[in-house]
Amino acid sequence: MPSTSVALTPGLASFLKSLNTNPIDTSIENLVSLLKRRQIRHSRSCATATAYLLLRVISACRTSEPVKLIERVQSVGRRLIAAQPREMVVGNIVRRVLGLIRDEAEDDRDAEFALSEAGSESQPQTPRGFDDSSLPLDRDMLRTEADRAASRPPLTSMFSLLSHPVEDNSPASTPGTQSPRGFPGHGPGKDVRAEVLEGINEIIDELDQVDDQISSYALEHIHSNEIILTHTSSTTVQKFLLKAASKRKFTVIHAESFPNNHDATHATVSGASPVDEENLSFEAFQKPLIALGITVILIPDSAVFALMSRVNKVILGTHSVLANGGLVAAAGTRVIARAAKVHQTPVVVVSGVYKLSPVYPFDFDSLIEYGDASKVLPFEDGDLVDQIDVQNPLYDYVPAELVDLYITNLGGHAPSYLYRIVSDHYRKEDISF
Amino acid sequence: MTDPVDLAPASSAAAPASTPSQPTATPSQPLPIRDSKSATDPAQQDKKPKGKPAAPATASGDAVAAGGEKVLTPAELKKKAKEEKAARRAKEKLERESGAGAAGGSAPGGAQGRPPVTPKKDAAGGASQKGQKAPPPRRGSGPGIVSHTPVVEQKKKKDDKKVAVFGHLYGQQRRTTIAGAAKEVHPAVLALGLQLRDYVVCGSSARCVATLLAFKRVIESYDTPPNNSLSRHLTTVLSHQITYLSTCRPLSISQGNAIRQLKLTISSIDPSTPEASAKTTLCEFIDGYIREKITVADQVIAASAAQKIQDGDVIVTFAGSSIVKQTLLLAHSEGKRFRVSIIDSRPLFEGKNLARALANAGLDVQYSLMHGVSHAIKDATKVFLGAHAMTSNGRLYSRVGTALVAMSAKERAGGVEVPVIVCCETVKFTDRVALDSIVVNEIADADELVSNQLPQQVTGLADPGAHTPAPVDPKKGGKAAPKEPTPAPSASSRASSTSPLTEWKDTSNLQLLNIMYDVTPAEYVDMVVTEMGSLPPSAVPIVHRMSTNM
Repeated sequence: MPSTSVALTPGLASFLKSLNTNPIDTSIENLVSLLKRRQIRHSRSCATATAYLLLRVISACRTSEPVKLIERVQSVGRRLIAAQPREMVVGNIVRRVLGLIRDEAEDDRDAEFALSEAGSESQPQTPRGFDDSSLPLDRDMLRTEADRAASRPPLTSMFSLLSHPVEDNSPASTPGTQSPRGFPGHGPGKDVRAEVLEGINEIIDELDQVDDQISSYALEHIHSNEIILTHTSSTTVQKFLLKAASKRKFTVIHAESFPNNHDATHATVSGASPVDEENLSFEAFQKPLIALGITVILIPDSAVFALMSRVNKVILGTHSVLANGGLVAAAGTRVIARAAKVHQTPVVVVSGVYKLSPVYPFDFDSLIEYGDASKVLPFEDGDLVDQIDVQNPLYDYVPAELVDLYITNLGGHAPSYLYRIVSDHYRKEDISF
Repeated sequence: MTDPVDLAPASSAAAPASTPSQPTATPSQPLPIRDSKSATDPAQQDKKPKGKPAAPATASGDAVAAGGEKVLTPAELKKKAKEEKAARRAKEKLERESGAGAAGGSAPGGAQGRPPVTPKKDAAGGASQKGQKAPPPRRGSGPGIVSHTPVVEQKKKKDDKKVAVFGHLYGQQRRTTIAGAAKEVHPAVLALGLQLRDYVVCGSSARCVATLLAFKRVIESYDTPPNNSLSRHLTTVLSHQITYLSTCRPLSISQGNAIRQLKLTISSIDPSTPEASAKTTLCEFIDGYIREKITVADQVIAASAAQKIQDGDVIVTFAGSSIVKQTLLLAHSEGKRFRVSIIDSRPLFEGKNLARALANAGLDVQYSLMHGVSHAIKDATKVFLGAHAMTSNGRLYSRVGTALVAMSAKERAGGVEVPVIVCCETVKFTDRVALDSIVVNEIADADELVSNQLPQQVTGLADPGAHTPAPVDPKKGGKAAPKEPTPAPSASSRASSTSPLTEWKDTSNLQLLNIMYDVTPAEYVDMVVTEMGSLPPSAVPIVHRMSTNM
């Protein structure tokens, strides 16, 4: 790979290419500026970039001291978050990496210390054990498997009591994902760093597979002859619908999400080559829905209410999901969700777990980013631009009561259950690091 | 293809007339001759001119006659052969037509050969290809089939592009030119039709006023033909105009109401009234109607709606209603200090003109599109909406997107509802009812959605020629919708590079839907301000009855 990042348009691809050749500090600086300039802006691109960067950061660390690793990751994470606080996935990935390091550190200590101490110490860890059963990619499962193999008694609470029988079934329920295979038991002096790197790689794998995993639930949610309304060109939604389209016939009404995403939406709908390089370039080119015989009706955003009375289901992508069950999604989503609620149409949000943020919003306005006003009012109307205040919000906050169901790579959840998944994925001490 | 047919009789007829190029005029050889003909063009062209005398008469009759005149015994043979050939020809024709599509392209020899032969026939044939008139019976059948198959295919394609739920609304294609308009249509109406179609005259009241003014000119230039009374004949004249207008764009409720009143007035004119005075009565009626129902009504509404605005208000409005604009300007001129937030939508961007007008008047204007509605509504204190019509069940029938704005106002988080005030003249009240936006609506050309501004802007910089039409906004009465400039040449030149939708008509399963209106439930509307007072939406049917009985 020639690291001619100069020749490339700055973005995820150029960043990943330059990552291996540039020094760490340059890479961090690079990502910070990319985030600041909004040259990496989609949730998954941000998550991938963060994960790869942290992988580099940790592998470049000359120490295996968990405390030092945590400090290092925290300092990098703070810089990234400061660069673009509204890309919450960046923080999510950092938190998960921190959690990984802490888990490894505790594992080590577990091995060293007396069993009696484990009780108090692994208290925050127990929910994670529960989570492992459903999250196959989480490397913790490997650890617990190994623990059991070592006949360690980790049953420290009722949660783990229940979770252990479930674990036996977990590989079967999640085919196609990594199942625990022969893994060297953790010796007391094992390399924390290697374990963490392994964990980050699994996060990266998760990011790669998350859409496919979500789409595997599609047939449970879409029946024949449905009329489905969606919004924006979200790849997750497209894959979800494509999966369903392989078996069933239905109709998709696609609101074009003018002015921020309409080009990509038009391209998605018509199957033309993707306009949005960053969003789709590293995706395998996928067929449009129309190629599978699905009728796709493109409508302007304003026609949503008029058509909602005929829609069976609204499927939405999202930018990030908050712990209270609300979500931050492309502007216009809220009004669509509201219209659906008014018409008693179920609203389904498809989102990878990585978008699930432990941040609880008290000030919703702070989550909203405003974009380029010239998309709303082109500079051809320059006289007007001078006189009036043109607004182009990029995101909407959609309250939890407007959402009926979340479908993540772990399955379907009610919005009220999300806090549980949050506590499974992030450790308390990392929520505000 | 049709050539071999003509040639068959022609050649046989020409043989006795001593043609050098036809040494094999024996009756037993018609088939090989024709085969060779179809293969070699020069031979055909040579022979055809000789067929001239026979050709002008209708083909089939002529052929039979020619055969009969010659020798009797081979005549039967010939007939047989002809029948065979006719069948073969028909088959070939079908095959070729389906393959080549265009009739002209598939038979170059014929196209070249015929003009010198029979100018008349050729003209007829050309016409038949276009206009589907069937000149001679045989010919006619050919082109008939030809033009038929593509039409069917096109129809299929078109149907594919129609959104099934809205199938009932598609109706006929909107008129694109004034060609083919009935000759009775008055030039003023012709012009108005095009203006309506292009949204130059847009908005319910503007359309109503423009229609009435055009009809006034029709009446002024009207002369009652002899043996007819004005009260009877004028309505038929008007109905031609109305039909024409409705092919340009479906009539609005206000137009319908005004036309109904006008017709009522015409029919109530005493036949004994002299024509001149009858015409003056009608013109006065039209002027009075416009003044009473729209001009003065607007002033009354604006005055009473402006009272609802207080200092510090944040008014949200959607698209560009003339009456809302009047209200806001009036309130501003009264010295009230408030902010206006305009929400606009694709593809008409009617709010832009409203924003411009308000900003020029010095108001504090904020502008965003449909996607920003939940943000705009956040600090709103009142929502003012215009109407296309109010239905008898109290629902507001207005520009698509209005319902979303009204809904957002009513569903604001925190439980505080924003009052939604509709400004609407009673001329827009109708006795129709509507439950959803699907049964009653208007479908606009979906191509309006294809061209979007961003690509235009980008390429506009590189291509100043294409850029120029963009800023030109037709502004008429402040209501003109800045129709997106979609000039065909520029669109095609950057078709592939810009909008991925340009090919949508050829993309199967992809449909674009561009509806004009939606229906806002009555519970989202708190007040309807009319010239007869401020009412709840449930009062619409009563007011409508009152105003139509008066």
